[in-house]
Amino acid sequence: MNSVEISLTVGVVSTVLSLPLAIAMALYLERTRSRVRHAVQTLIMLPLVLPPVVTGYLLLKVFSPIGPLGRTLAGLGAPVAFHWLGAVIAAAVVGFPLFVLMIALAIKAVDPRFERVSRSLGVSPWRTFWRVTLPLTWPGILAGAAVAFARGLGEFGATIILAGRIPGETQTIPLQIYAELDAPGGERRIVGLVLTACAFCLVCVALSRILDSWYRRRLELDR
Amino acid sequence: MKLEVAARLHRPGGFTLDASFRCEAQTVGIVGPSGSGKSTLLDAIAGIEPGSRVVVDGEDMSPRPLHRRNVGYVTQDALLFPHLDVRSNLLFSPRAGPLGDVPAALGIERLLDRMPRNLSGGERRRVALARAILSRPQLLLLDEPFAGLDEARRREAMSLLASLRERFRLPMILVSHVAEEIIGLAEWAVRLEAGQVVRAGPSASVLRAGETRIDNYLTGTVVGDRRVRVDGIELAAAISPGASGDVRLACYAADIILARERPHAISARNCFEAVVRSLTDAEEMVIVEIESPRLRAVVTPQALDELALSPGSPVIVIAKATAFAHVGAA
Repeated sequence: MNSVEISLTVGVVSTVLSLPLAIAMALYLERTRSRVRHAVQTLIMLPLVLPPVVTGYLLLKVFSPIGPLGRTLAGLGAPVAFHWLGAVIAAAVVGFPLFVLMIALAIKAVDPRFERVSRSLGVSPWRTFWRVTLPLTWPGILAGAAVAFARGLGEFGATIILAGRIPGETQTIPLQIYAELDAPGGERRIVGLVLTACAFCLVCVALSRILDSWYRRRLELDR
Repeated sequence: MKLEVAARLHRPGGFTLDASFRCEAQTVGIVGPSGSGKSTLLDAIAGIEPGSRVVVDGEDMSPRPLHRRNVGYVTQDALLFPHLDVRSNLLFSPRAGPLGDVPAALGIERLLDRMPRNLSGGERRRVALARAILSRPQLLLLDEPFAGLDEARRREAMSLLASLRERFRLPMILVSHVAEEIIGLAEWAVRLEAGQVVRAGPSASVLRAGETRIDNYLTGTVVGDRRVRVDGIELAAAISPGASGDVRLACYAADIILARERPHAISARNCFEAVVRSLTDAEEMVIVEIESPRLRAVVTPQALDELALSPGSPVIVIAKATAFAHVGAA
């Protein structure tokens, strides 16, 4: 795989894998009154403010091949450190705060009374999530996914620490740009990579905007 | 419906609701100024706010979560699910059977394929009410359901609610900040102030001085030119030309005159004999309930003394034809 293909697969897989957890976290933050909510929120937001290299180092400690978790995963045929899965995890962790924030905003925009009305009509909280909350928030969730994907696409610091820069496996677009800086003839390839990255990110942001305005219309917020 | 409520809860801002009451009535009103805890009390009865004791017809609903309480909850904003058309909104509840005559009873049968965003405010409220009725609730909770409507539309909506109550035999709890608006429908009421019950009893007893705009809601059949038969009495009413079949009428309690004897020459077109059912003291006035037809009249204590009325005594009821406004088809 070339770096563009690696970036795309890493971005898609990390976004898809973190989607259920991001929805659960956003629901927890927006729809519960738990006392530890603020502590959880702070923890989730950490990767947003931590230097990515620090995040990568902490991840490397967690998934180290000589640590219990890293060894178990490697034994199950899913090694993390210095493997493709490491790049996926780095992208997922760094993109997670934005993903949760975007979904939380989408859930916040839905009047919680819709969910109460659903329950008063005899629909359980779990079925209410599938029949009311999700149909009303999915454009917002997709908008969040587009932003999280774009963030993952640009991930550099955590990826290089956790997954290394292995051409054909973990070398994503940013890592290849870094490598090409002092490679003969690298300048020309960098231009191509930069344009590709810009195009991907533009599409993601535009998609996010379109979905956002669509779901606002759907919820009649812009009437 | 026998209802027993003991709601005690504290809000973080310092507001405390401590309201207990017990009653037996088909329709109960909760009245009080803004911020008195009416909606919080309704939330407690619905089970949205946990920790209150609610017993309906001897059945303790307190341990049941909201989705197992079997209460229909209708708020001022209809809260129709914006991603579903009217038909899907109506059939949303797993308890909802076929639509039957509910859409026709609420006059929404032509809206079934429309999306909520294409409905007017009044239409949305009707759909929300139909949705709640179709979920076959044990109890219907209505939080200021017709607030913000002009007088004509409010009377129309309230009389509709009165006819639905009879048709579907639905016990209701109605909340409003304007007591006189819901007294016409409620037999029993609670007045809340700062989270406490300050008065509870027959609905007229919670009225304040000056609250005389009490309405009567009647259903009858057109039997001739501007004539409607209600409970065996033929009334002259201001019905629209060409109206036929069953109609709903509304009449203010203050527009009804009571007398001991039939007047000889009078412009009022309605003059019939009825029986006093009950008398309720409201501040500076007395609400006289008569049957049949079931009507409430409001008189001063002095007038009551002169007429020497008491429950069971005969009385002559006088009203102009225009006092009986035609508010809709039944």
